[in-house]
Amino acid sequence: MTDRTDRVEDLLVAFLPNLRRFAISLCRSRDVADDLVQAACERALASADRFEPGTRFDAWMFRILRNLWIDVVRKRKTAGVEEDISERQDIAGAVSGEREVEARMTLKSVADAIDDLPDEQREVLLLVCVEDFSYRETAEVLGIPIGTVMSRLARARQNLASAAGISAAPARSGVMKGNA
Amino acid sequence: MTKPDFSDEMLMRFADGELDPQTAAAIEAAMETDDDLVARVGLFIETRAEAKSALKPLLDEPVPEKLATAVERMVREKQAREAAVPPSVKVIPLRPAVPKNVAVRHWTLPLAASIAAVIGGLTGYWLALSPVGEQSGLQVAGVDSAALYQALATVASGQEKQLAPSQRFRAIATFRDSAGAVCREFEVDSPDRSTVISVACRQAETWRFSFAVVAPGTDSGYAPASSTEALDAYLTAIDAKAPMEAAEEATLLRAIAAK
Repeated sequence: MTDRTDRVEDLLVAFLPNLRRFAISLCRSRDVADDLVQAACERALASADRFEPGTRFDAWMFRILRNLWIDVVRKRKTAGVEEDISERQDIAGAVSGEREVEARMTLKSVADAIDDLPDEQREVLLLVCVEDFSYRETAEVLGIPIGTVMSRLARARQNLASAAGISAAPARSGVMKGNA
Repeated sequence: MTKPDFSDEMLMRFADGELDPQTAAAIEAAMETDDDLVARVGLFIETRAEAKSALKPLLDEPVPEKLATAVERMVREKQAREAAVPPSVKVIPLRPAVPKNVAVRHWTLPLAASIAAVIGGLTGYWLALSPVGEQSGLQVAGVDSAALYQALATVASGQEKQLAPSQRFRAIATFRDSAGAVCREFEVDSPDRSTVISVACRQAETWRFSFAVVAPGTDSGYAPASSTEALDAYLTAIDAKAPMEAAEEATLLRAIAAK
């Protein structure tokens, strides 16, 4: 029985909701996400013997899916297809000063603010804050140094906070200061 | 009072529980008297909690049926392949592979001389080859060659015929090999649900069995894909032509049956 639970084909179906959430957050399109999830499952089943039992299955799946997504983005870039999502993000990053002003005027929902993060900040945020991966595990999934995980994650959270108006309200109030 | 300087990254690591205990203790101590520090740490705690709850609904969303069905099908196929592949599939090369550059006269060699091996092992079912003589050819438990020969000469591709109470013959295709001989690909199911996939070619007015694979059967009766891979390789090796149309096959079979 324990053997069976460590096999890709036995773990895959139950993991679909998580994989799909990660995919939707990554590519911000349900249709693209579902195709991506299916392709990732196909690839996972084809290379199931490369999954090491005892290691994190979710990390393994996220890595497969994210690599497929990187391929899609790369192809879109070289083909110059439609509106390039990551380019849009670059532009958004370049005019962040304006965006902050805009954000202060109209606060976004947290979900929208996450969507608007640059790709490399969003994926780090997803793995650490949403999926509860450690920095080390996140670095392994994304294939980047742990220091890069930390700097991207800090920026992601600062951007998220200002876009969605998140503050540490309970602790920051002047009331507290007054009490002290 | 001089405040210790903690970077945002350090405070984030503190909030995420990724900081060494010593530095964590230092930050905790500083937070007792530094509200700004509390706010900065709070920002990281809040953003994590907010991000998590914002994406929670996505996890509760039902997986679209189309996607779920597709993945479940892939999983089933994988499981079926794994169940089928292991040692239970036995390739029985009745003739050694003919190198491409060797002339076709190999095909006219007596059958017995070219038998490489017969691998048995499936209970209640076996292939046996009797010496060239009064009854050469493929024998299937409980089925006399005559019934099999008759089926080969009469059953159209795509049709089935019961040879014995638990032996079902199924004609798959008729084609010519590189020498122009008429060949038939067929399957025979046995009571234990295993299936023999075989190829028989017309040589000197009789059927010569040149290839057979014993594969575990499935509920559908059809042999699993993995065992047909060996067949595909074999068909490629003998340079099999495309399967005949029904009309051409019918004419040929009538001619064979008349003999």
